[in-house]
Amino acid sequence: MQQPTPQPTPQPTENATKYAWTVPPDRTRVIGTSVPRVDGPDKVSGRAKYTYDIARPGMLHARAVRSPHPHARIVSIDFSAAKAAPGVRGVLTWKDPGTEVMYQGDVVAAVAADTEPQARDAARLVRVEYEVLPFFSSEAAAMQPDAPVVFPNGNTQAGQTQETGDLAAGFAAAAHTLEATYSTHVITHVCLESHCSVCEWNGDQLTAWVSTQGVHASKQQIAGALKIDQANVRVICQYMGGGFGSKVTADAPIIIPARMSKDLGAPVKMVLDRKEEHLDSGNRPSAFARVRAGVSADGMLTAFDGVTWGTGGAGQGANFPLPYIYQFPNRRRAHTNVYINTGLQRPMRAPGHPQGCFVTEMLLDELADLVGLDPLELRLKNLPPTAPDAMWAEYYRMGAKQFGWDRRHPTGDRNPGPIKTGMGVSANQWGGGGRAGAAHVRIQPDGSVLVQCGSQDLGTGTRTLLPVIAGETLGAPLDAIRAEIGDSNLPFAGVSGGSTATPGIAPAIRIASGRARDALFARVASALDAAPEELAAGDGRIFVKAAPERSLAWRAACKLLGQEPITADGQWEPGFSSVNTSGVQFAEVTVDTETGIVKVTRILAIQDCGLVLDRLLAESQVYGGVIGSLNFALFEDRTLDPRTGVMLNPNMEHYLLAGMTDVPQIDVVLMDMPERGVIGIGEPPTVSTASAIANAVRNALGVPIRSLPLHPHRVLAAIDAHTNSGGGPA
Amino acid sequence: MKAFAYVNPSNESDALAALRSGGIVRPLGGGQDLLARLKDYLDEPDRLVSVKGALNREAAATGDGGLRIGAAMRLFEVAEHPEILKRYPALAEAASTVGSPQIRHQGTVGGNLNQRPRCWYFRQEEFVCFKKGGNRCFAADGENQYHSIFGNDGPSKIVHPSSLAVPLVAYGARFRLASASGEREVAAADYFTLPSMQTVQKENVLADDELLTHVILPAPGNVRSGHYEVRFKESRDWPMAFATVVLAMNGPSIDSARVVLGAVAPVPWRAEDAERVLRGRLLDDAAADVAGEAAVRGAKPLAQNAYKIRITRTAVKRAVLAAAGRSV
Ligand SMILES: Cc1cc2nc3c(=O)[nH]c(=O)nc-3n(C[C@H](O)[C@H](O)[C@H](O)COP(=O)(O)OP(=O)(O)OC[C@H]3O[C@@H](n4cnc5c(N)ncnc54)[C@H](O)[C@@H]3O)c2cc1C
Ligand code: SF4
Repeated sequence: MQQPTPQPTPQPTENATKYAWTVPPDRTRVIGTSVPRVDGPDKVSGRAKYTYDIARPGMLHARAVRSPHPHARIVSIDFSAAKAAPGVRGVLTWKDPGTEVMYQGDVVAAVAADTEPQARDAARLVRVEYEVLPFFSSEAAAMQPDAPVVFPNGNTQAGQTQETGDLAAGFAAAAHTLEATYSTHVITHVCLESHCSVCEWNGDQLTAWVSTQGVHASKQQIAGALKIDQANVRVICQYMGGGFGSKVTADAPIIIPARMSKDLGAPVKMVLDRKEEHLDSGNRPSAFARVRAGVSADGMLTAFDGVTWGTGGAGQGANFPLPYIYQFPNRRRAHTNVYINTGLQRPMRAPGHPQGCFVTEMLLDELADLVGLDPLELRLKNLPPTAPDAMWAEYYRMGAKQFGWDRRHPTGDRNPGPIKTGMGVSANQWGGGGRAGAAHVRIQPDGSVLVQCGSQDLGTGTRTLLPVIAGETLGAPLDAIRAEIGDSNLPFAGVSGGSTATPGIAPAIRIASGRARDALFARVASALDAAPEELAAGDGRIFVKAAPERSLAWRAACKLLGQEPITADGQWEPGFSSVNTSGVQFAEVTVDTETGIVKVTRILAIQDCGLVLDRLLAESQVYGGVIGSLNFALFEDRTLDPRTGVMLNPNMEHYLLAGMTDVPQIDVVLMDMPERGVIGIGEPPTVSTASAIANAVRNALGVPIRSLPLHPHRVLAAIDAHTNSGGGPA
Repeated sequence: MKAFAYVNPSNESDALAALRSGGIVRPLGGGQDLLARLKDYLDEPDRLVSVKGALNREAAATGDGGLRIGAAMRLFEVAEHPEILKRYPALAEAASTVGSPQIRHQGTVGGNLNQRPRCWYFRQEEFVCFKKGGNRCFAADGENQYHSIFGNDGPSKIVHPSSLAVPLVAYGARFRLASASGEREVAAADYFTLPSMQTVQKENVLADDELLTHVILPAPGNVRSGHYEVRFKESRDWPMAFATVVLAMNGPSIDSARVVLGAVAPVPWRAEDAERVLRGRLLDDAAADVAGEAAVRGAKPLAQNAYKIRITRTAVKRAVLAAAGRSV
């Protein structure tokens, strides 16, 4: 899935002026400071109730029966043994006999029982007879001209070739051309909290506790799937252990318990285990790019010709942006989606960008060596013009100074000894922005404040943004503000995905809070002997702008409301948020040439996201993004057995993930741009770490690095291939 | 997971009696391996006999200057024990890197030595291979990058998973095995077995009604030992190859050597060629190099694991350097 092309921004309304974000030289009091997560203590003390923790009276547990085969036709399903098993209350057919399962882990049926272990055991007693069919466990197999037809609409699907400029002229202008094939692999989302839900009916009304990136979207999808009124569905998600794009669809783990709960007249819970997560909860598609590219003698990119392919599993696309960021005036690109028999891709943090970034950034370092330029210089020559949303040149120069880029050696560490060091860089971009958000603010006469918004907190800290924005706007003390999110009965908000959540809801909270504040000013102005327009709020006080000593403490001011609270609503409006961010990252690594082991020693991330609302939260997005991308570069790799199509590492053991000690020093520089309003920061930081690391490895070893992950045996193979080919320039 | 009976005896003889109580019975140490296999439906015992409270948990000096370690000793205790650190440092080091702090606090010596293979085909129930009573080895011509480069001409291509087994073989340890009808002692080197069609479902000579109760280390003598693990991740991961060398010294030169390799064969692998080339040499850089070269002589990689030859050579070389008190 590509990010949608931004629609034209509507004209700002008068609220955009009235409640405009504070920009320098005026100072903010809360926004832009480091406010710790309001629910941090609940999370670390175990008080926070995740969907996984929800237990309802009389609750049953559902377990899916999944295909062990990568491709098969269901001949028959026999539930008799399962029904007779202890504790079993009901069964459900998800796919009818005669239909096909397309990958290992594809859902066939489900069983509900009193306890989870009983459901697990019983699910294994469901006897499904399969007619095993041909399958593909690799892109190469699916692309064979004589491959059997596994996917009725074609095993591959070629897209339109896109061409800009004059390719022949571009190559003619090149002093050097390079032909190479780059690739990245499939990884899965590995949310710490697996996909889960609890569904409970009360008459025709369904309450669903779901680990979801969109309570409102879930509600609509569930209603659609069950053919019931959206008004009869309520979705709740208070705390969540990550989604990364994999929790945006209401699929089997929600619909199965919803249907079984209705049939069985009891709440039903369904929790996927780690293996199910790996097999059937989404993944990042692979990417392959056979590239021919040209560069002039003075380091200007002249031409790019790319044939690309990749797989998003059994019937999903795998496109990605290419070339990425840097300007090739003449370029051509032909992409083909390849289908293989594995679980389906789902958006994964910056869909497509890490792949396109890797291919382009690796190519650039190779071209830089052909020209004999520092890779940073080559980049600076070929970036799009600098603009507020395209600040790479400035960040590269800043970063080079801070990181010590002048200490980088040319390609290939010449120091004796087995341990080589290297540095690499890489850039990122993302659209972000978001328009879906509504909020409600209520000021109680006792000074407590309720802020409601039907967004959800994936673990990014969304909940904390409510008091941050409302506190800034109302001037109320943060501990007086109660935030309510994660419930589809609250005002509408869009999914938390694509870096759209914060820019979607922040304007709504700002406007609702602004209106509430103005209403409060109107009701307390007389007590301060002033007109409402003469008042301001901040630091827990309402005061006269011109004479701040004439003031009321927050609670004293609210007391003047008597019995009638103030309520106000707000909705996203233009003028508070915008789209498009830019960033760069630097990486330093050591590589042990006698073992192939890569260790990342330092990362520097320079990132903008418009107005920084809460510095801690924004930085934490960057840390998480960097670590995720480091995992992509070094560790994670979905491995299939080629002959059976069965995944060999559906766990967290052979599917490697960085531990605490594998995470390097990460320095984050946040570029605050308050005048641009709020832009999301969820995606961009995870785009470029992997390619910065891979280029650092290339710099250390002086051998081409063209595919991920950088497992030791693959690093050693790259060294050997280079040595055996005569060891020319990397 | 199949329901099982749980027995929690407080002494060795009750534990041994419980092993003979009928049906499929398994001893349970820290459960770090066994419980995972039960949850993954890889093993379905009728009864678990906890041995944590039944077996000895100390390390005690023996009459002849050695050390006797109870099988219930936790791995973190092995890593921190002053006598082990002083006299068998390679053993302490091997224990200190196992898994994670949680695994080291739960895991026992007995469980570590008797844990089942980590072959990723073995661990997925979809694959019924030789080790599970099936009629093929999926790794032989499958994804075998983590499999053996030595001793792999039998039916199974696993590498033995135990980190402790390697230094124990290198130090010449013996294991005390006991059953309700008696006890025996077996050299660590003879305990682990290469797979044959007859023995492929087990990794050692332990009988179903026996427990490994003690590890008995001989007096170390005038030795220098070194241990080196090639690890990709620094925690919660397995070494890709590792080596323990124990060198009996005569002044600056090596009198005799034990070189044992881990994660490269279905058993802790004695690199006898390396032992031979070290004999009589000065303990220096050149010794490390020749030992590394000799250690991998005769390696027979599978389709995807030739790279292990190089890292095994590195492990041996660095273990010898470590014995010389040097780091890489
Ligand atoms: C992510 C991860 C990483 C790991 N990394 C390493 C590593 O680097 N090196 C390493 O060596 N291990 C590693 N392990 C495995 C771990 O060390 C072992 O699982 C642990 O030491 C086993 O000890 P335990 O007492 O928990 O064994 P248990 O699970 O209790 O038992 C293991 C087996 O031994 C049998 N058994 C237990 N006690 C006895 C006894 N006294 N006599 C006879 N049989 C007995 C049991 O029946 C069972 O079959 C790792 C495990 C994980 C999950
Ligand atoms: S190596 Fe051993 S455990 Fe692995 S598949 Fe082959 S027989 Fe089974």
